[in-house]
Amino acid sequence: MKRRDAIKSVALMLGGAFSAPTLLAMGRWEKGEISESSLFAFSLTDNQKRIVAEVAEIIIPRTATPGAIDAGVPAFIVMMLQDCYKTPEHKSFAEGLDELEKKQFLTMNNVQKTELIKQVEKDSVEQMKVYQVQQTKMGDNEDREQMAVQAKGLPYWRLMKELTLLGYFTSEEGIKSSFDYVPIPGKLEMIKLKPNQKSFAY
Amino acid sequence: MNLNLKADKERTFDAIVVGSGMTGGMAAKELTERGLQVLMIERGREVKHIEDYDTAMKGPWEFEHRGKVSIHSAEEYWANSRFGTLANEETGEFFTDDKKNPYIEKRPFDWIRAYHTGGKSMHWGRQSYRMNKKDFEANAKDGIAIDWPIRYEDLEPWYTHVEKFVGISGQAEGWDVLPDGHYLPAMPMSAPELHFREKMMKKLNRPVTIGRIANLTKPQPWHTDLGRASCQYRSKCARGCPYGAYYSSLSGSIPAARKTNKLTVLHDTIASEIIYDEKTKKARGVRVIKQNTMAVEEFFAKIVFLNAGSMNTAALLLNSKSSRFPTGLGNDSDQVGRNIMDHHLGVGASATVEGFENDYIFGQRPNALYIPRFRNWGTDKKDFLRGYGYQGGASKSDWKRGITMNGFGADFKAEMSQPGTWTMGFGGFGEILPDPSNRMFLDKEKKDKWGIPMIVFDAAFGENELTMRKDMMASAVEMLEAAGFKNVAGYNRLDTHPGLGIHDMGTARMGKDPKSSVLNKFNQVHDCKNVFVTDGAAMVSSSCVNPSITYMAMTARSADYAVKELKKQNL
Repeated sequence: MKRRDAIKSVALMLGGAFSAPTLLAMGRWEKGEISESSLFAFSLTDNQKRIVAEVAEIIIPRTATPGAIDAGVPAFIVMMLQDCYKTPEHKSFAEGLDELEKKQFLTMNNVQKTELIKQVEKDSVEQMKVYQVQQTKMGDNEDREQMAVQAKGLPYWRLMKELTLLGYFTSEEGIKSSFDYVPIPGKLEMIKLKPNQKSFAY
Repeated sequence: MNLNLKADKERTFDAIVVGSGMTGGMAAKELTERGLQVLMIERGREVKHIEDYDTAMKGPWEFEHRGKVSIHSAEEYWANSRFGTLANEETGEFFTDDKKNPYIEKRPFDWIRAYHTGGKSMHWGRQSYRMNKKDFEANAKDGIAIDWPIRYEDLEPWYTHVEKFVGISGQAEGWDVLPDGHYLPAMPMSAPELHFREKMMKKLNRPVTIGRIANLTKPQPWHTDLGRASCQYRSKCARGCPYGAYYSSLSGSIPAARKTNKLTVLHDTIASEIIYDEKTKKARGVRVIKQNTMAVEEFFAKIVFLNAGSMNTAALLLNSKSSRFPTGLGNDSDQVGRNIMDHHLGVGASATVEGFENDYIFGQRPNALYIPRFRNWGTDKKDFLRGYGYQGGASKSDWKRGITMNGFGADFKAEMSQPGTWTMGFGGFGEILPDPSNRMFLDKEKKDKWGIPMIVFDAAFGENELTMRKDMMASAVEMLEAAGFKNVAGYNRLDTHPGLGIHDMGTARMGKDPKSSVLNKFNQVHDCKNVFVTDGAAMVSSSCVNPSITYMAMTARSADYAVKELKKQNL
């Protein structure tokens, strides 16, 4: 008996009492094909990769300390989208890149690029509101897992910013140059901040 | 014949302990220290203290996904990942792959497991509170389920006994609702937390204390004797502590049991059945299946302690059928597997704190504040039964605040390297009432890969819990507002299910009457007195406090009794 049939027969035996999410959860036993499709469905063109790298560097530029590119953030972003996000986010991220491509982002000068990113950030405020309303509506809906597959993903800017900051501030270059890195504090003390004191990172 | 006799002798111990987690470890320690030869059976792989804590000393950049759960991992750990991200790259080693160990949900149940040495004691939240006097009287008073066969006074000396051994940092406060135990020095509160505590007392008359936590702030000789050192304030406990600073079976009870030279541990060994002897009316031992080779073996002992975790302990009882116990060992009352309780959570509030700009913390406190139950306590009366406690605290925001704020570029980058404002939040842990229709049972047809019937869950929160949750959110909002904090936002996550508190309990409850309970007041199975159940399965009501220290106290008490009964030749 195939797993799918086994699951169905168990469901029947128990009086078909399973909720939709439960059946979906049980379906995970056999869901190898879904994870594979989500793993390989997301890929970027060379131009798109260049945009990702440039925007990451605009968010965290090289200053006296390393920037996003120095810390390997662009490749981290692509890897994270592949590994940790599903189709809705793949779509919204690709849409955001498309918009930038249409506006000839790569041929702009630095001032124009910064202005465009400011606009993207501004627009994302409204997109985030729409996204949050959608998430709230899904709530504990019986079909929330199915709905989630069709739902709109997190907006491009939110993904880009979150992954850039995560990639940078948890990288060895980012941590050691941005913070006071104390892997073994050895004590716990309530203290007063000194002027311009960096955050502790652990 | 001689060979067989010899083989049987090698398979015979004074006691068998099924499980190596929080209570299995304690049972092994207490029994070996009283002179018994103990066999401990652990279904999962062996984890060696310190040397197998692979992620303990890694820097954040050494985790590929930096703490996020990948889609692939979320599918493997689907029950773990449905709500939270505990089973991530840092700590996933100490959680169980749900895909390889499936279970059936008639109604959703978030079953979080830990199949390895130390079980869930490897990743527990370490919060350690005694149940209070009224907790033990609550069922009788409310007319809910059945009465506890014991009272606070029965457990009191055993709480003391295990608290000293475990090592709990906390503050004695003298409150009836949260009886004091034996504590190592308390961890400090931050400036906004001290402010919050003062406001709560003045404005709402609600006490706040620092969490009582099983991390060593000042190790005592019996801790250092086991190689345990002081907390280093890294707050990476769930990866396994190379200093042995937080209590687990691996840092505490198993080394203590090993010191007696009376402990044998078998890993990768799944207890499938308790062998019942119809003539002596006692258990003879335990049948096991080696998880990797599928080999079936039997081990024998005078007494058997079941500490497999509430759900697996109940499953083992249900799967142990005999002519005397056709529906499972000790299941005359049909209560095995029923009355599943847990603590419901995912409800609370958070806020931003103005002021305290110059206050900061050096080190990471692996602990939070605790606000003990105030509902239906004293003169307070609500439209639900029982109550809840809150855990939470204040923290100074770090670079993550940048994700939701506007800005990018050089100035933004510099700003993110400095601490931001304080935020404060806390979430509730609510008592769940026992309900016989909240249950797990064995599937009649479907078996796991070892041929053991699969577990089916059929449980959900009841009206009392759902009503309580509304109050849990509202009171959290009320308290943060009363403290003068801003942007107060309540939450009540509805996508949580029983099990998520990882305090699943109640499936083989104690009681005075064998007709309505599985265990007597010393945790012995009614009518099979040499089988003891001392994990969460024994619980009659759930209280709202974190249960591990109660399970451990119960285990120590029961082990002491078992050895005395053995000496009197009553077992």
